[in-house]
Amino acid sequence: MNIYDIIFYLFAIVTLVSAAFVVSTKNIVHAAFFLIFTFFGVAGLYILLGADFIGVVQILVYVGGILILLLFGVMLTNKITNVEIRSGTTQIVPALIGVGLFAGILVLTMVSTEWKSAPGEIPFTTAYSLGKVLLTDFVLIFELLGILLLIALIGAASIARREKE
Amino acid sequence: MGFLQFIWDGIWAVLSLGNFALIKILLIANIILITVSYLVYFERKISAWTQNRIGPNRVGWRGALQPFADVFKLLLKEDIVPEKANKPLHTLAPFIALFVAFSTYAVLPIGPAIQIGEETVNLVVADINMGILYVLALTSIGVYAITFAGYSSGSKYSLLGGIRSSAQMISYEVSMGFSIAGVVMMAESLSPIKIVESQSGLLWNALIQPIGFITFVVAAFAETNRLPFDLPEAEPELVGGFHTEYSSMKFAGFFLAEYANMIIASAMIITLYLGGWQIPYIETLNLGTTVTTILQISAFMVKMGALLFFFIWVRWSIPRFRYDQLMSLGWKVMFPLSLLNVVYVAVIIMLFNV
Amino acid sequence: MPQNSQEILLMLPHVVIGVGIVISLLIEMYSKKSETILPWISLFVFVFAGVHSIINISANQILFGGMLEVGGKPAIFNFIFNIGAALLILNSIDYIKKYESNHGEYYILIQSAILGMMVMAGSKDIFMIFIGLELMSIAFYVLAGINKKKSSSNEAALKYFLLGAFATGFIVYGIALIYGVSSTTSVDSIIQNFSTFTQNILFIVGLLLFIIGFSFKIAAFPFHMWVPDVYQGSATTVTGLMSTTGKTAAFSVLLIILSASLINYNIDIFAPYFAVIATLSMLYGSIVAIAQKNLKRMLAYSSISHAGYMAIGLAAANSEAFSGIIFYLAAYTFMNIGAFGIISIIEKQNDANTDLTAYAGLASKSPILAAFMSLFMFALAGIPPLAGFFGKYYVFISAIEADLTWLAVVGVFSSVISVYFYLRLVVYMYFKESEKDIDLHIDKYSLLSVVVSGILVIYFGISPDSLLNLILSVVN
Repeated sequence: MNIYDIIFYLFAIVTLVSAAFVVSTKNIVHAAFFLIFTFFGVAGLYILLGADFIGVVQILVYVGGILILLLFGVMLTNKITNVEIRSGTTQIVPALIGVGLFAGILVLTMVSTEWKSAPGEIPFTTAYSLGKVLLTDFVLIFELLGILLLIALIGAASIARREKE
Repeated sequence: MGFLQFIWDGIWAVLSLGNFALIKILLIANIILITVSYLVYFERKISAWTQNRIGPNRVGWRGALQPFADVFKLLLKEDIVPEKANKPLHTLAPFIALFVAFSTYAVLPIGPAIQIGEETVNLVVADINMGILYVLALTSIGVYAITFAGYSSGSKYSLLGGIRSSAQMISYEVSMGFSIAGVVMMAESLSPIKIVESQSGLLWNALIQPIGFITFVVAAFAETNRLPFDLPEAEPELVGGFHTEYSSMKFAGFFLAEYANMIIASAMIITLYLGGWQIPYIETLNLGTTVTTILQISAFMVKMGALLFFFIWVRWSIPRFRYDQLMSLGWKVMFPLSLLNVVYVAVIIMLFNV
Repeated sequence: MPQNSQEILLMLPHVVIGVGIVISLLIEMYSKKSETILPWISLFVFVFAGVHSIINISANQILFGGMLEVGGKPAIFNFIFNIGAALLILNSIDYIKKYESNHGEYYILIQSAILGMMVMAGSKDIFMIFIGLELMSIAFYVLAGINKKKSSSNEAALKYFLLGAFATGFIVYGIALIYGVSSTTSVDSIIQNFSTFTQNILFIVGLLLFIIGFSFKIAAFPFHMWVPDVYQGSATTVTGLMSTTGKTAAFSVLLIILSASLINYNIDIFAPYFAVIATLSMLYGSIVAIAQKNLKRMLAYSSISHAGYMAIGLAAANSEAFSGIIFYLAAYTFMNIGAFGIISIIEKQNDANTDLTAYAGLASKSPILAAFMSLFMFALAGIPPLAGFFGKYYVFISAIEADLTWLAVVGVFSSVISVYFYLRLVVYMYFKESEKDIDLHIDKYSLLSVVVSGILVIYFGISPDSLLNLILSVVN
């Protein structure tokens, strides 16, 4: 067990434990709080694997953007209208069966698969090659993603628009 | 002697770990703390000067010991946590603010690389490739401090402050990111050191892309919650905004973080737009390495001082925005301008093949 | 660079729609009369893209280094999407006025949905499939709730979004596992090594998740829960688009993944899955539709059973089956769009007049609408010599050739059941007196759309070879 293994398990434990708290806590703000650590753990794993750009962007987008919007939504709806938003636990048995089956299949595949490991050097920085690939091999996807984001924006504005009475 | 040599070797090994990271962390943390305390003093002095008052003048020579008096006062106050507060989050919020304020500085360089013995030491705690993104990521975490403070206090003023702040910071982060994109395109790197080095001579980004410079500075004001964008804590409307329910050292934590953020914002502006530590054409004077380095570090300090003065000056000159004005400025003016800047920089790069 | 500009010319239909989105957005921003201009822009864009695709069907090429296929099979799909959308735009001009939410984004979102479908049908890379799917789905989620004052429309949008996002989750998980085994995202290289990959259970699980995700999108039986409420609650023109072109797009992806691997390498591990799905969907859709009094809901269940008929082709998995599915999709698109077009003419505000009773005595009030509605109902039931019959015929034949005769028998049995509820509407229109006085306003553009769909349904029925030969020429 070298230092990388230890760091890996550290991040894995952070991710899993905080994820468990996210689903088990009843207060939705606490859930969002623990989700920060989940995202941090995942970002740590990315950086450990040499994907520094994705790691930082993970924090920037998920922690700094999506989660804040979630909290923002909770704060606007919770308390102000005097309705506490809490997530309850219902339908435990069907959920257990479903999750158990899915987890079983995944564990089975994990055990029975021969995992490949490719030798290779971890690049000094991934941003350069990532940018190059995005604008050469995957340029069509890159442009389509632009349209996709535009459409998502139009859709969000359309949903939020207030109809005239 | 052998034993002392052994101990010295051990200490040296620890100290030189990661390009003398420990020493640099200690230095930077202390510099920030001292700067912050005197920044408060200067803010009070400058505000007094603007308003034709005298300002603090009782503690020490012309009030020079005022910051220490302030800190002791805050330390000795009672720490009050409201009954309705969400205790863990209430306590955590100022720590998040401080954590962000102190760790952000890790990637911003204050001078060129220097030689100590055989080692080349960069005057930055951590020279990472994603430096600029690291700053953005940490800034975005900083929103949580205010959001949690607002939510957990159990007071509607705090809550309103928290909501305002999260909306404001997210909105201005967008134009901030796009302004930075222009700089990154010029430097072809996300590393702060490379960005500084790309602005050699008079190729300062502030001169090449003035629109980006303006949008970034405005966004920086909004991100640090300084006037004219201090709506999260607008005193006439929200008492104290998100920190209404904070007292003693927790309040001091927010206070400290706000001023530390000012320092970080200034350092970011210098690094991205004002050529960092560089003095244009200093290499033509042939002053020798040591003198040049010292001059360059002082240049950084001078730029920093000027920007901090600018921050304070603006605060006491411009009135606060109304909330809808703030939002329409962010989305309808700053955001399109910063997009325009990206296009403009791309055209510049294409034309001049920089 | 010059090579890229040539490639952009080859994907002109996609580019035209993309430009159409941007132009529509600008018109919506700056023009006060955008509601009257935008339909014509979208119409032009769709007709151009559809005609351009079908003219250049022989120019089969793969662009951008193995990302997008133009010409060939995608061209036929593009033709179906664009002509279907053009017909629905004609309907929308009048229909959308009945709601007060007549905004430009309606047309913009429809254009983006069609662009997404075209990307899906032509994709040669798993990323492209995913992005096309998202482009289509996001537009549909919003379109389903375009009428914000109607609670059923809001409900439809929310249900569609939640279940659609759930299905997308399956697809992404599947893609991750497939990539994990194959370490490539190119569809061609995955298919080339299909037989080696299938020895790896990870790949099978990934592919299964992928297919389950798309089973949601084609509205097959165990994954159909969202269909009735969404189809009933959404605006009728949107439902028409979702149920036809949306289903076609999902099938086009299944065909991309399955057809080449199955035909060339004869590996059929998913036949049992599709056989089960087909049986359940056909029977469930046909039986439950009998109990429906609301026409849109009835057509929703009929859509489930049609997904079942098409899934027979996936289970049979030979080249006849795949060309049969494409023919079926084309036929289904035009007859369903015609049917929804007539519903949109008769429908009034707040879902009024979508019940069966509203159609009582329609023959005496508007013989032409009644005649066309009967035509579409006969076609949906699969009565010869209409297009719907040949769609079913080709699929059933392929099932028999693949030794799945029992599946064809179930299909025929289910068709017989479905005749009951399709013909019930005809009986209502011709042999019942109208109970209430319905003021009927027939818009000329909507009527044009219905007539064109009707002509296409008859034409594909009388000479199915014209379309089938085209399909066969590109499938092989």
